[in-house]
Amino acid sequence: MSGSGPAAAIEEGRLPGRIWFYSTYACNLACTYCLTESAPGVPRRALDGATIVELTQQAAALGFTDVGITGGEPFLSPDLPAVLTQVASMLPTVVLSNGTLFNDRRLAALKPLARFPLRIQVSLDADQPDVNDAARGPENFAKVVDAIPRLLDVGVGVRVATTLNGTPDPEAMARLCELHRSLGVADEDHVVRPIVRRGRAQVRGEGVDVTPADLPAELTITADGAFWSPFGPTVAAGVLDTDLLITRTTNPLRIPAEALLRLVEGRPPGEDARTGIR
Amino acid sequence: MAPRITLVDADQAPLLVRHLFAAGDPGVIVGALATVPELAEVAVPFLGAALGPGSVEPKAKETVVLRTSVVLGCRYCVDARTVVALDLGLGAGHVAALREAGAGERPVTVDDDTAALVAWTDAVALAKGSIPDEVHAVLAERYAEHQIVELLVTVGTTMLLNRLCTALSLPSSPETLARLAAEGFGP
Repeated sequence: MSGSGPAAAIEEGRLPGRIWFYSTYACNLACTYCLTESAPGVPRRALDGATIVELTQQAAALGFTDVGITGGEPFLSPDLPAVLTQVASMLPTVVLSNGTLFNDRRLAALKPLARFPLRIQVSLDADQPDVNDAARGPENFAKVVDAIPRLLDVGVGVRVATTLNGTPDPEAMARLCELHRSLGVADEDHVVRPIVRRGRAQVRGEGVDVTPADLPAELTITADGAFWSPFGPTVAAGVLDTDLLITRTTNPLRIPAEALLRLVEGRPPGEDARTGIR
Repeated sequence: MAPRITLVDADQAPLLVRHLFAAGDPGVIVGALATVPELAEVAVPFLGAALGPGSVEPKAKETVVLRTSVVLGCRYCVDARTVVALDLGLGAGHVAALREAGAGERPVTVDDDTAALVAWTDAVALAKGSIPDEVHAVLAERYAEHQIVELLVTVGTTMLLNRLCTALSLPSSPETLARLAAEGFGP
């Protein structure tokens, strides 16, 4: 018999076990397909570290199995390593990063985290610097390929995420995979996903359209509320999208978690992976 | 007059309340409440229950809604509920009297039952404490206890909407304004 709360739903596979936090909307880059129109100087809409830690505690109690932290660029926050120490001690954690901020000081701050189940997912879109940097900014490629081995050296797990506009070119993808392997990242730690037509990509008319049925219902907490998916709290032309908003209430976490579960239970099963977006 | 917040439309309707937009534009009150979907999800059905059909005769209930809106000075609600009152068959003269009487004044052209209901409504809507015993007693001669409770919920719910619509400067719809003009209630 199925249980009725989030814990049972997660355990039975009816609700994804990962919870996401948008730690900030600010970023040192301004990628052309950014979901959140993040860039230097945008409103930060930040979740403070104490909130992330408290909500992670609640998430663990509700049965969530792992945490994702995204932005913006999470490592713009100087206290992120300390926050990660607490978060990753509770649940396995992945942090999405543009990979451009890992100087010696930040790498040293990450070193104590090597004993925790923490991975950093770094964006890298092409094996050619000019192709990669066209969307992500000057010198991005060089900084990323420099950062990945150094992250691995300090003992932090690394994943590579590639975002593509349109159908992948098999030859280019083969070269990219060769590159990430050479940097020390295995194939199973390479994620490829399409540009989603939301945020800056929507304004530019790029990417694929998505509906809730296309997106796994991964509870996503932001300073503006709780959303259906990390693809939900997007910003287009400076305005936050609310079409994938679940609740404005984020604490206690059971309120958005239970609302998300009710929404999930109310839709036909098996529709959560139509475009394979993860 | 433009609203003071960005109202949610069908394209941006949050998941919990998307059904409220399925049959077309649900109006500015829902558009405002939908910015907080977990509230709108329960508030909108509640508003329907509180202001919709109940144990109190509809014309009397609408008299309370309209009168509350008048004494609280909610332009949007007075416009919208004038149309509802007319649709319920409250005569234009009766509606005009409810709209024009000052707080605590007996509207002209109304009967004693309506005058008692209006006096009670004005007292409840404007009271800073309990209403006087004699005002309650006059209403209690005409309504059962459960109906008084229903009327109190009607006043309170209307006051909630009065404050919401007024503080947010919610605009009356063009359809409402056209109807009011056609019925002689133009600005």
